[in-house]
Amino acid sequence: MSAATPPQRHYELSAAVDFVIIGSGASGGVLARELSRNGFSVVVLEQGPWLTAADFKHDEYMNWSHSALTNDPRKQPTTFRKTPRDKAVKQPALTYGRMVGGGPVHFTANFWRFHEIDFIEASKKGTIAGTGFADWPITYADLEPYYTKAEWDLGVSGQAGASPFDPPRSKPYPLPPMPIKSSGVLFEQGARKLGYHPFPAPVAIISQSYQGRLPCEHCGFCMGFGCEMGAKSSPLPTMIPQAIATGRCEIRPNSYVRKIELDTNGRATGAIYFDKSGKENLQRARAVVLAANGSETPRLLLLSKSNRYPDGLANSSGLVGKYLMFNTDSLAGGLFEHPLNEYKSIEVTRIIHDFYEMDPKLGFYGGGGIDARFLWQPISFAFNGLPRNLPQWGSQYKKALQKYFTRSMVLAGHTTSLPLADNSISLDDTVKDAWGLPAMRVTYKDHPDDMKTNHFMVDRSMEILEAAGAQEKWAYPVEESTYGFHLLGTCRMGHDPKTSVINPDHRTHDVPNLFLCDGSSFVTSGRGQPTETIQALAFRAADRITALAKGNQI
Amino acid sequence: MDIDQTRRLFLSQAGASFGLLCLSALTPDLLAQAHEHAQAAGKSGTMTYRFFTPQQAAVFDAFAAQIIPTDNTPGAREANVVHFTDYVLSTIDSDQQKPVKDAFKALQTQVTKSVPGAISFAVLTSAQQIEIMKAMEKTPEFGILRGFVITGFFGSPALGGGNKNEVGWKLIGFEDKFLYQPPFGYYDAQYNKGKS
Repeated sequence: MSAATPPQRHYELSAAVDFVIIGSGASGGVLARELSRNGFSVVVLEQGPWLTAADFKHDEYMNWSHSALTNDPRKQPTTFRKTPRDKAVKQPALTYGRMVGGGPVHFTANFWRFHEIDFIEASKKGTIAGTGFADWPITYADLEPYYTKAEWDLGVSGQAGASPFDPPRSKPYPLPPMPIKSSGVLFEQGARKLGYHPFPAPVAIISQSYQGRLPCEHCGFCMGFGCEMGAKSSPLPTMIPQAIATGRCEIRPNSYVRKIELDTNGRATGAIYFDKSGKENLQRARAVVLAANGSETPRLLLLSKSNRYPDGLANSSGLVGKYLMFNTDSLAGGLFEHPLNEYKSIEVTRIIHDFYEMDPKLGFYGGGGIDARFLWQPISFAFNGLPRNLPQWGSQYKKALQKYFTRSMVLAGHTTSLPLADNSISLDDTVKDAWGLPAMRVTYKDHPDDMKTNHFMVDRSMEILEAAGAQEKWAYPVEESTYGFHLLGTCRMGHDPKTSVINPDHRTHDVPNLFLCDGSSFVTSGRGQPTETIQALAFRAADRITALAKGNQI
Repeated sequence: MDIDQTRRLFLSQAGASFGLLCLSALTPDLLAQAHEHAQAAGKSGTMTYRFFTPQQAAVFDAFAAQIIPTDNTPGAREANVVHFTDYVLSTIDSDQQKPVKDAFKALQTQVTKSVPGAISFAVLTSAQQIEIMKAMEKTPEFGILRGFVITGFFGSPALGGGNKNEVGWKLIGFEDKFLYQPPFGYYDAQYNKGKS
């Protein structure tokens, strides 16, 4: 798949632009639009291709197994180990969006704000021994205007005030909620019976025409797929064309950055990258913004080590790559009497936040939300959708597939991960990627409280399925994470250069004209839906960086 | 990014037994070939194979027919799973040729063990085949063959001619419209009736 690059401003390598942004996804797309709109010259280096809606197909096999929209383990191997004491084994360990528009092109589009508590949880509940559990240096109130901006500028459907747990908001959602699905109805009925407070899921999918884009046609291929209608509010149909329209932004796809360059004064001068043909280029810039995701941002800092910074760039704290958080998730399924036809339309239409914070009496830290959804398309359903105690081949298997596909749903819990210093992104000692660079090494083991939270969510999900009238219900096993889709916390934000990598302006403590903004900036994990916060941070960072640039403080 | 537990499950399955992760991307050329292949498979019942030997094709056909049997509805055989698998193994999944060959060897080893002297899984009785498959159903070799059967049965008919006439999708009640309007299912129809 490939697409021609649309007409846009072109910058020469030799002339320094104001900003080079590395990554065009959730945060990079926002930063590109905001900084170019604010009058700056911007080059965005994106390692993936520039695809368009016409490239997106309903082909489950190609999408899932052939990395059509994501990092390709064949070219970009990873290694994995549970703890630093273990030997890392070469195996796929994480997925991120690898194309113009990034992860939100293929995401499910659940779009939750953090709540007030997420920013101040350590001081409210106390620190937790052996973890890096800490407050953020910014509060919900600091970020609220940018959540609102994200919702209005991207296009989000939802119902303000529908959840008693919602944090305060300055504006309602720009679009009404998506139509309820049968999973939403059953979940709502079951949850209400138990005294919970189900409400319409906020999603970055437009329920009506919005800013020249057509609404969702309910094709059922959101999670893992690009939206061929352009109804999913990823940067691809929103931020990217708007950035180009300023005439000051160039998006450069197929550009794989290997190093941030520094001058003798310790200031960043640009980024060295391989173009599509493998040729090495240096894009000069007056400032560098890394928005490459919570795995590639720390990896690139570690790859950018020098005599001056032998432990990696911006790593005087030693925390680059550490405190990786995946979020955990739980799963329980139910079979109902009548067809739900959950393969139609978006994934999720109802959620609960009744367990956003755990009852302290339970004795462990955690919290999260539960949603009702269908996780499958036909192939993935046949692999994983049936209860595990049923036959997995033969005539009974065939009958079960027939019975369960249209009549089942799952409840998915999305929960906290504690920040642990051992959980990390680092450079592998031996394995290299297709460009000859050290591969990413992932070290990860869930904190016991994360596992307890997960079990708690499965138990509540089973009760809700029962209350919803499921004929059968089943829990999927709770297992320690060996694979990540949410890549958070690896260059955390803070005031103190000893205990954080960036300051609240997203500027690295060590290099004055180097900024980091993506999932790596997180201090805590939130409750399993990080994208809106990544994007709100990017809108805020753009304001902060603009103010610094205009005040000649970069 | 969202949680994507599907993928976690799908990939854990893939990583364990299907080897899907180390594969090349589909190019427009390959897609065009896939369409040609699909059409050819539709026209002729006796097409030649690109990867399978005739003996392997017969074994895989028999294996596939046990994974998703033909009963009162079409099974793997009618879905053209053999031709799909032959196509992907000779193009986009060529790096899976060795694991598939190894899986055939493992299957034959089990055949020889269970039915001494038998030359091929394909010629055994259904009961013998099922016994052999049960004996190896937890192995990666079984997993990779099963994986291709499932993918060929439920995948997009545009890819390699599997899921012929959408028999896989029809079996489970998946429509191929890709555009819908509410109500989607029974419960949301009832819910909205109650509201209006």
